[in-house]
Amino acid sequence: MAERFDNLEEHLEKFIENIRQLGIIVSDFQPSSQAGLNQKLNFMISGLQDIEKCRQQLHEINVPLEVFEYIDQGRNPQLYTKECLERALARNEQVKGKIDTMTKFKSLLISELGKVFPEEMAKYKAIHGEDAPSL
Amino acid sequence: MTEMFSTLFGQNEAQGPPGSSSLGFGPGKPPPPMPQNQVSMAGQMPPQLGDEGPALRKPGVMNEPFYLLRELPVGNELTGNTNLITHYNLEHAYNKFCGKKVKEKLSNFLPELPGMIDCPGTQDGSSLRSLIDKPPVCGNSFSPLTGALLTGFRLHTGPLPEQYRLMHIQPPKKKSKHKHKHHRPQDPLPQETPSDSDPKKKKKKRDDDPDRKKKKKDKKKKKNRHSPDHPGLAGSQPNSNSLR
Repeated sequence: MAERFDNLEEHLEKFIENIRQLGIIVSDFQPSSQAGLNQKLNFMISGLQDIEKCRQQLHEINVPLEVFEYIDQGRNPQLYTKECLERALARNEQVKGKIDTMTKFKSLLISELGKVFPEEMAKYKAIHGEDAPSL
Repeated sequence: MTEMFSTLFGQNEAQGPPGSSSLGFGPGKPPPPMPQNQVSMAGQMPPQLGDEGPALRKPGVMNEPFYLLRELPVGNELTGNTNLITHYNLEHAYNKFCGKKVKEKLSNFLPELPGMIDCPGTQDGSSLRSLIDKPPVCGNSFSPLTGALLTGFRLHTGPLPEQYRLMHIQPPKKKSKHKHKHHRPQDPLPQETPSDSDPKKKKKKRDDDPDRKKKKKDKKKKKNRHSPDHPGLAGSQPNSNSLR
């Protein structure tokens, strides 16, 4: 898994570096640097070919569209991961709170119903067993 | 509001059965307990009277007097009752991202990427969203440029206009850090470079230098005066030189 990403990362880094050098050549162009420019252009094409090859290895990788929004806004995409984890934990705690409350309610209801309807609750317990949830 | 609350719930609580009131049930929601003969009839009720459909009509579930009784959910089911972050082994990721402050800018995530990457991509049309919305029209393969095609890339000599020189611009924070690192071993040299990160401090030092030199010279003179070789020491007027 990680090797595939490493491979893509390596190719992307090479590609970016090549583009950077291309930019430097172009920013103050001299007639003598035409051969270097041509070489860099073909490096760029071969770099794109390499990146294209990596695509086959990463077919089943899904990237949330929200990450792209973060990148487009010039924000660190790790903030998205952070917010996702925080949201997941908050929701997890909320649901746990609801489950705990319902569990307490169930046990209280069973005990109170046992007081008011002892026979019916005895039958109920006979069907379900002593499955009063532990608190 | 409290009056309304008491009118809504107070009267009904008084009317309700004692068991339900102790549980805080709503008004008249639970039907009064049926007598035994009715209960047994309820167990033989035709299935079409049930609201919940086939799940309630299982023969194993048809237990007197609980004709609406369902089977309890299986306890092994993964719910929000368990800590899902630990369940999926994400504690490391949680501590990494939520334990400390994550830097806001994209350049902090990709520090080696050249150019100004912290600007919104919509400004210069370089957003990833636009790449998805309007994918570029191109062929399926990349073929290298031959000699004839490369003639299209013959450029004019000379520098680019400034607005196109984006590749050299680095995020400012990183630039200052690098300069510090590079110039520290050669402290005397960067005094001449104008683009240092802390010009005020260094300028102050430079301004102080001549004063220091003067002081040092004065000290040397004084020492020389006190030294046995100095002619003024033998004389009775030690401060005569300083007065001049």
